[in-house]
Amino acid sequence: MAATDIQTIDCLKDYLYRAMQLEHATIPAYLSAMYSIHPQTNSDAYHILRVVVVEEMLHLTIAANLMNAVGGKPDLTRADFVPEFPTYLPDGEKDFQVSLQCFSPSALDTFLKIERPGLAPDANTRRIPRRSRGTAKLAACPEDEELEFYSIGDFYQEIERGFEHLYRVHGAALFSGDPKRQITSEYYYSGGGELRPVVCMESARAAIGLITGQGEGDGGGIYDAERELAHFYRFEQLKLGKYYEPGDVPHDPKGPPCQVDWTAVYPTYTNPRLEKFDASSELYEYARDFNRDYAEFLALVTEAFNGKPQLLLDAVPKMFRLRNGAMQLMRNPLPASKASADSAAAGQPDGPANAAPTFEVAEFAR
Amino acid sequence: MRFPSQAAKKTQLEAACQHTYDVVIVGAGVAGAIIGNELSRAGKRVLMVEAGLGEDITVKGYEEYLQRFYATAVKDNQSPYPVNPNAPMPRGTTVRPVAPGQPETSGYIVQTGPFISDTTYTRVLGGTSMHWEAKTPRMLPEDFEMASRFGRAADWPISYDELEPFYRQAEREIGVSADVEDQRYLDLRFPDDYVFPMRGLPLSYLDRMVDKGIRGTEVEIDGERYPLKVRPYPQGRNGIPNSEYDGGKGYVPVGAVSTHQVEEGERCQGNNNCVPICPVQAKYHAGKTLAKALQTERLELLTQAVASKVHVDPETGRVSHIEVKYYEDPDEPHFVTGNIRGQLFVLSAGAIETARLLLASNLPSTSGLVGRNLMDHAYLLNWALLPEVAGTMRGTNATGGIVDLRGGSFRRSQAAFSVDIHNDGWGWAVGSPYTDLLNLVDDHNQFGAQLRRDLAQRISSQLLLAFMVEVLPNPSNRVTVDPAYTDALGNMRPVVSFSVPDYTMRGVAYARRFAQTVFQRLGARDYTFYDPTDYGYIHYEGDGYIIRGGNHLAGTHIMGTDKHTSVVNSDQRSWDHQNLYLVGGGSMPSIGTANVTLTLSALCFKTAQAMLEELR
Amino acid sequence: MRHHAIDVFLRFSAEVTGFKIVELRGTGESGEYLGTLDRIVGPDVVDELLSAYAELQPREEAEREQLLRRQIFGNEKLGPIARNIIKLWYVGIWYQLPRNWRERWGVREADVTFTVSPNAYTEGLLWPAIGANPAGARAPGYGSWALPPEIPQV
Ligand SMILES: Cc1cc2nc3c(=O)[nH]c(=O)nc-3n(C[C@H](O)[C@H](O)[C@H](O)COP(=O)(O)OP(=O)(O)OC[C@H]3O[C@@H](n4cnc5c(N)ncnc54)[C@H](O)[C@@H]3O)c2cc1C
Ligand code: SF4
Repeated sequence: MAATDIQTIDCLKDYLYRAMQLEHATIPAYLSAMYSIHPQTNSDAYHILRVVVVEEMLHLTIAANLMNAVGGKPDLTRADFVPEFPTYLPDGEKDFQVSLQCFSPSALDTFLKIERPGLAPDANTRRIPRRSRGTAKLAACPEDEELEFYSIGDFYQEIERGFEHLYRVHGAALFSGDPKRQITSEYYYSGGGELRPVVCMESARAAIGLITGQGEGDGGGIYDAERELAHFYRFEQLKLGKYYEPGDVPHDPKGPPCQVDWTAVYPTYTNPRLEKFDASSELYEYARDFNRDYAEFLALVTEAFNGKPQLLLDAVPKMFRLRNGAMQLMRNPLPASKASADSAAAGQPDGPANAAPTFEVAEFAR
Repeated sequence: MRFPSQAAKKTQLEAACQHTYDVVIVGAGVAGAIIGNELSRAGKRVLMVEAGLGEDITVKGYEEYLQRFYATAVKDNQSPYPVNPNAPMPRGTTVRPVAPGQPETSGYIVQTGPFISDTTYTRVLGGTSMHWEAKTPRMLPEDFEMASRFGRAADWPISYDELEPFYRQAEREIGVSADVEDQRYLDLRFPDDYVFPMRGLPLSYLDRMVDKGIRGTEVEIDGERYPLKVRPYPQGRNGIPNSEYDGGKGYVPVGAVSTHQVEEGERCQGNNNCVPICPVQAKYHAGKTLAKALQTERLELLTQAVASKVHVDPETGRVSHIEVKYYEDPDEPHFVTGNIRGQLFVLSAGAIETARLLLASNLPSTSGLVGRNLMDHAYLLNWALLPEVAGTMRGTNATGGIVDLRGGSFRRSQAAFSVDIHNDGWGWAVGSPYTDLLNLVDDHNQFGAQLRRDLAQRISSQLLLAFMVEVLPNPSNRVTVDPAYTDALGNMRPVVSFSVPDYTMRGVAYARRFAQTVFQRLGARDYTFYDPTDYGYIHYEGDGYIIRGGNHLAGTHIMGTDKHTSVVNSDQRSWDHQNLYLVGGGSMPSIGTANVTLTLSALCFKTAQAMLEELR
Repeated sequence: MRHHAIDVFLRFSAEVTGFKIVELRGTGESGEYLGTLDRIVGPDVVDELLSAYAELQPREEAEREQLLRRQIFGNEKLGPIARNIIKLWYVGIWYQLPRNWRERWGVREADVTFTVSPNAYTEGLLWPAIGANPAGARAPGYGSWALPPEIPQV
């Protein structure tokens, strides 16, 4: 067992906060792609995105359970919780940023990178020096801003090591959190795996295993321990045009066709910001309303994660409302005046672009 | 849940005709699927013959149903399903009033009346479960003893307690959401430690408003008092799994099925569209059971094959083979014929189709009861506006109802009923919310903000009470066939004659008074109106009512204790043909006030057990 | 695409449906509906309606309502079309024009009752107006039915 940097429970809590940030950060990106799909088209892509989003939310919830287990307080309302897009994720090669953009080949490539499997070859390389500066970042090593993890899997491996280490030091006292704060399947149910309370070392290990397995597959296979296709391979199906079947090997799906229609998508403005909207327009109001709803949603989830799990049931209709709001924005053209300056910039759709949710919640922070 | 992709490749007729299967099943609805799954899992080779297309085997195919539904202007029960002249189905919108002495032939079912029903069933893979509403109440213990308790109809050959373990199996298979505390009433008994697979779905806001208005009040019939309240219905749709299920093992809900992995339908999202199609497959349909059966790789599926004749060896009385007509294209009447052989045969084509097939095969029947005793619940609709906005048009079609009058001593003289509170408002009765829109725009000349306010006020306070009234067996209510009426493949169409018995009409008349009482207690404005020109209009003791078909078809091959008074025994085995099982609602000797599917599913588990014994 | 027409069409639609232009565009159906009108009753009649509306523009609200009734909803030719536009937005269905309209201004072949597209159904404004979702689409989520409805105030 390699040594860990996580020597104190406070440090572990920092890591777990980062984990929640990390799980959340991909959600706006996936939602932006998913809602941009014309309704009743691209069924294959829509379903894949939907599953991944649901599982990311599950991971977020698991991370909150881990945090609660060690007596921490999950907080999705901290000013730095929602990143500014585009944002880096802790992929060792630092070759991509995550953007809010409509469903497109470049969005798919990003998703493949986010979920890309790959553990660093050995302990020395699992953290690598940060090369690029000046951009928002996630899952950086909390106590050393200069280092980042090679992959999401490595990051969680570090957390697991931290748990093991602190468990050796503190024993069962590590799990000092109130078990009533744990979120179970009763309150958050998704097919993507059962949500079990984290109350001991064994359940903590299982929780971490579920997150990493769903993202990247179990031990190099395409399926995770629950026999679900890992996210990377789900996305790869869209790229390769075929579904995986049990028995298939990575990168060579042999199942029924999986189709994409890149034209059946609303061309939304990439990484939109409120400042691109005309502040006196109705559209601006709606974009801002979306952000307010999103901030309220995060606040409600925070409350649920802090001892009121039943509130998660109320969060579900809110989620669906956000969907309606997002889709409404994406069908409205973003008037050219403000946006046109960037329209030639890289990453924007060709031709006029539509509005989209900006996920800027800072102004509504509590 | 995944269909193995080879299942999508489907069995070809030629290949199927070369085998002798352990079991041949006709009809891939819930009844056939349960038996197919149980037997194939126990190692038997099973062929499933299905008249409809197998379109819904992938999520995309399933979504085509949905698209078709979205795209039609008239969203009736059958609107998601493709018109298929080779395996036609009845459709409510085609029903017309009957002229005296002249059968109503415009729909698939030829109706000779006097009562004309808009009842339907669906002939696609998965059968009518694709579009059922998925309420899953059990029958009451007293429903099994109608003759000895109330001097009505016949007792069942089995008791509630004998069927009880099979009810639990059916609840597992269908995945029922309910809280057992809510379901212990009128002597409904469960093992002490029983819980349903998933927790009950919450009552709708509308239900709660009705409950608030009636709770603590009573009605009196026949000298007995019945307290009123709104009780949640058990439902065959995914809720929150109950971790205490199965001695603490819990329950894993089955979501959408497809040839590739999709995760959806793990929980009902409140689409309010269970009938005619649940968009996310949170609602149970027989495809979920079929998918499990197909995974055994011992069940083969032959779709687009209409069973047309059952052949019997005249010496042994055993079924030798079933003749099927296999078509390539639903719009072309061209077909090829094949003979399917097996040791045991199961007809699970639905109460009307199973009887139709037997009658068209001209088989001998000792009791002469094949096709007779057709039953279906009689629905009486009552509609009103509540004094305040109640959030109508949200939730599953019905989350709760008034069920305390399902049983009682009054059943000696009049029918029992259960009352559904329809979360979809007046839709069933008058076509809301579309008709409200047309009325406000065209007649009330509203537009703009006022129109919005009026719409919200009018639609959101709608209350529709649908009374599901008991219908007892009557031999003259029956299915027959007539060579004068055939479908595109030349199969004889079912001919139905039906009259609503007086016993039921007494219950209907009381139901109307009961509705008025409830509306009075709620301060609701009663808008109920029964149009005398409607095809379902019935005059009874000076008043008129409109009766709607219940879609709970039963009784065409009732079970009993001997071959002279029944068609099948309590294992649903035909008295006349030892290797033939007739399964489904048709076997039920009475239907009480329970939507039939849970009970017919329980019976199928019992039958599967008997068949396995026989094959051993 | 008739750019100017669509602007006036949206302004008219917003006024007669009681929804905002953002919400109308948010259905993704604005072009589709104008196209449907053009196809069924012809661009000439559509323009007649839109110019009649454009003339009402700069008035006080109370006066406008009266004018809308006198000049458009009460106009024998334009009224039925205006009412159909409301219905299009609300439920995505084009309803066949009344018989007397067809007798007087000519039967249009495409003038039959139909749902414009699957999306037109799911994006109908009737549903948000009553705090609900179209049956079978845009699900509100498990258990949402137990809460009081959220009917937007107008
Ligand atoms: C609108 C509606 C709502 C309902 N709601 C409820 C409810 O809430 N609760 C409840 O308990 N029940 C409900 N029902 C009733 C329920 O759907 C049926 O009881 C149940 O689906 C019957 O299942 P089955 O397998 O016996 O028959 P079916 O589902 O009818 O299946 C018969 C199958 O046989 C096939 N078939 C028919 N003829 C042939 C042939 N000649 N050859 C080969 N195949 C053939 C058909 O295509 C079909 O697949 C409802 C029904 C409707 C229409
Ligand atoms: S309410 Fe909706 S999601 Fe739930 S079962 Fe019915 S149709 Fe399916």
